[in-house]
Amino acid sequence: MLNTERKDDQAEKEIIRGGQRELAERVLDAGLCSGCGACVNICPYQAIYRDRTVVLHHCDLAQGRCYACCPGAPTDREGLLTGLYDAAELTPELGAVKGFYIARAADEGVRRGAQHGGTVTALVALALREGLIDAAVLADAGDGLLPRPATVREPEEALRLGKSRFVVSPAVAEFNRAAQGDAGRIGIVATPCQALALAKMRVQPVTAAYGGIEKLGLVVGLFCGWALSWRGLASLLGKKTDLAAITGMDIPPSRYHSLEVYTQGGIVSVSLDEVISCVRESCLSCPDMTAEFSDISVGSARLPEGWEAARSWNQVIVRTSRGAELLELARRKEIIEFREVPAGNLEKLKAAALNKKKAAERAAAAQNDSILKERTG
Amino acid sequence: MSVDGSWKEGVEVLLMGNEAIARGALEAGVRVAAGYPGTPSSEIIETLSRFAQAGRLYVEWSTNEKVAMEVAAAASFAGLRSLCVMKQNGVNVASDFLLHLTGSGTRGGMVLVTCDDPGALSSVNEGESRHFARLMEIPLVEPADFQEAKEMTRWAFELSEEIRNVVLVRSVTRLSHASGNVVPGSLPVLGGKAEFLCDGPVSDPERGPVISAPVVQKHRLQQEKLRRAAQLFETSPFNVYAGPEKPELLIITSSACALYSREAVAILGAEGRAGILKIGTTWPLPPALLKRHLLGAEKVLIVEEVLPFIEDQVKIMAAEQAREIGIKTFYGKYDGTLPMAGELNPDLVAGAIGRILGIAAPSLPAAYREKLGELAALTPKREQTFCPGCPHRASYWIIREALQRDGRRGFVCGDIGCYAMAVLFQAAGFHTAKTLHAMGSGTGLASGFGKLGPFGMEQPAIAVCGDSTFYHAAVPALINAVHQGADLTFIALDNSGTAMTGFQPHPGTAVNAMGEAAPLVDIGALCASLGAPVFCGDPFDPVRTRETLNEILETEGVKVLVLKQSCALSPEKKGKKQFLVRVDETLCRGEDCGCNRLCTRIFRCPGLLWNREKKKAEIDEVICAGCGFCAGICPAGAIINEEAARA
Repeated sequence: MLNTERKDDQAEKEIIRGGQRELAERVLDAGLCSGCGACVNICPYQAIYRDRTVVLHHCDLAQGRCYACCPGAPTDREGLLTGLYDAAELTPELGAVKGFYIARAADEGVRRGAQHGGTVTALVALALREGLIDAAVLADAGDGLLPRPATVREPEEALRLGKSRFVVSPAVAEFNRAAQGDAGRIGIVATPCQALALAKMRVQPVTAAYGGIEKLGLVVGLFCGWALSWRGLASLLGKKTDLAAITGMDIPPSRYHSLEVYTQGGIVSVSLDEVISCVRESCLSCPDMTAEFSDISVGSARLPEGWEAARSWNQVIVRTSRGAELLELARRKEIIEFREVPAGNLEKLKAAALNKKKAAERAAAAQNDSILKERTG
Repeated sequence: MSVDGSWKEGVEVLLMGNEAIARGALEAGVRVAAGYPGTPSSEIIETLSRFAQAGRLYVEWSTNEKVAMEVAAAASFAGLRSLCVMKQNGVNVASDFLLHLTGSGTRGGMVLVTCDDPGALSSVNEGESRHFARLMEIPLVEPADFQEAKEMTRWAFELSEEIRNVVLVRSVTRLSHASGNVVPGSLPVLGGKAEFLCDGPVSDPERGPVISAPVVQKHRLQQEKLRRAAQLFETSPFNVYAGPEKPELLIITSSACALYSREAVAILGAEGRAGILKIGTTWPLPPALLKRHLLGAEKVLIVEEVLPFIEDQVKIMAAEQAREIGIKTFYGKYDGTLPMAGELNPDLVAGAIGRILGIAAPSLPAAYREKLGELAALTPKREQTFCPGCPHRASYWIIREALQRDGRRGFVCGDIGCYAMAVLFQAAGFHTAKTLHAMGSGTGLASGFGKLGPFGMEQPAIAVCGDSTFYHAAVPALINAVHQGADLTFIALDNSGTAMTGFQPHPGTAVNAMGEAAPLVDIGALCASLGAPVFCGDPFDPVRTRETLNEILETEGVKVLVLKQSCALSPEKKGKKQFLVRVDETLCRGEDCGCNRLCTRIFRCPGLLWNREKKKAEIDEVICAGCGFCAGICPAGAIINEEAARA
């Protein structure tokens, strides 16, 4: 179980205080907003509109949940990890690793309707079916690929929303909204930034009331190298195909250097050179590749046989006993099937994750340099 | 304001300055009166409308002051006496027509009454209309009290008929909106058929076409008319002197300043040293009258509002007459004795006179001053904002939330009406409205902003325009925007009346100034006929309206959004609540994160109160208009609307 027992003063030290002003200055205006939605639907002062987090009215509180829960605000990740996970299982590259697997949905139909191995989709549908959660926050899309989170109650609806989006949807805003309704235990499929926001929400010291975080029942994390800005992606793809005809997308391993777009008329391959310019600015300083603040994290597999074999499998990191129990249940009910983990896979994953952490450090250092130059130049 | 339909000849009655002016016009046998609502002038047309009767008196609220003047001029050309009424900026609007009208001349007596607003108590300027008399070369008279307001107005029609040109009667707020004793005169028997004689030669001002050409010839004629007026002014009973034959200080004053001057002299006890020459016939200033009084004094103080109009002319005359009258010492605005901006009052004038004569003006007793300070600290700070239940607050809320979502630093070009408050008091408009000028200027400005895209302008411009303002001035600017292909979001705030000035009717209401049923000109239909897409919304339906606004903000060209919801003070709404609104304290989040007093800190309807002891919001049942809008913005659902029982 996720450890929610924290000493108050420890929490105090780890959360750097601030309100809307700090949120605006240090995150929104600094290009560090990932669009997770944690600051939305907790108060009337922020909103997400067309993939942009906006301030609606001025809030003058010195300290607010918006800043306390924001993954783009300064965070003591180490403190948060040791507080929420078993210290013995923490790794420097991947966070807590209780277990590491290569797995996929046993049902080929589920795999086809979802992304890669369909593990996330299968697990969420199972959790709903078994009543472990009574609602799940997933990513849907509106007109023109505009990300739009959705809360589903039925397992079938979860099966329908299995495709990867590559644009962060404000899932935490949707969680905040759903938590005010009659859902009792809410699961969520979360990018690393969204999972971090939810973790910060569990320990924020600003206010006990009006939260809803106690309804969080399951966090399935997604591996993520970077996400794309909706505006950039929609503009780029709109030149190449009819956005309404897009059925899915994928980014194969880096050597393919492409974004694959599946449409009703066939596959459109877009060079990553064009796609890179659409990467959301906040992603450049994110150190988390495997969603370290989840119960269980899932990404696409890498296998010695190559991409054609690997693309229908997932890599799975179990982090908490809740995550372990869900995966075990899925194995027993034959919802999920497993294969042997090839030697060196975990090391390769750690190396990739470490690269992202180094890149984030470099980006942070560069930003500090430019701020210094501005102030002294 | 008491309107006693039976004002009796010879029986003293208390009248507002504007009522006295209206009575003066009635005693002169006015047949047509037209104007546009503008504080402090509006009561003149309102009063006359109560006496309107087919064939006897026609009263009109025109779409703007230029049209009002044209309507009045037509009556004059047809031989009827006519009155045209406006506030100071209205003369600016009518000035192009006035320029040509004074060149062509008039026939039936035509009086232009302008009510200026020194100190801008109800304006966003304190411009002066007196200079138009000089500019347009017509006579100007200024009443100094209520009886005079009536007498002068009546006499102005006679003068106009004698010189065959417009006469300007200028009042100010402190006269128009104050009340005083007036003895009404007799009402005439009305006669005369409206007929426009125009078949004669161009050179015949009485029977030929009415035009200002040939210009130089007509201009000379116009100046002759003015000289005739100046002659009459030399012996006018409206120029009154009171004081010693050879005063130590000669005070030349006019209008309400005459009252301030009298009071100031009395405060100082300086009746034996200062004499007051009250000028009623201000332009052209009669030179012989002036010379007589300048001869008798060494020191001259000119007391007037706002600009040095009389002061200029007196000094010019003094220079011309110097050999006869000698050198004088002038005190006024140019030397800083009196301010050149803002309105005057007895204390300011007493201070000036006191400094000149070396008399210490009595100051407030120390105990009184201290008490004043204590009371000032106790009085609550009341900011100007929209009424409870006002649809404009809701409209600006919607605009704010839409612009913030839009994210391109868009802004509103504001215009004149109650909704102008959004620009003047930024919190009232939720910091969206950023320009404010003249009637219809918001649309013109936004039309201009909407052409700056090629220069790198990314901020969308929104023009917000009231219903009356729309008919007054916005239409040409809107046509311009359509024709020039400007990117403009035009929002019409239709609250079914000219609300700010007292809820006068306009072409969007189905009734006219005289209370008769009148055809309606629909704003949305008119805009659609220009070829612009027209959307309709209800400001009290914020979610849908805001979505519509966000969508149209992203499109190019001219888009029109008509927000229709009647004013909280309109007859069908005033005093009637749709909802009984209350706050559930168990749900109210107050200052906590998650609300931080959204309703009382940001939304700020006067019906919402913050209880500092309980730290909860509450509804003031007396002030709340029962519109129910605030219930929709409370993040905790703590504001409850209950349907009010229909009485």
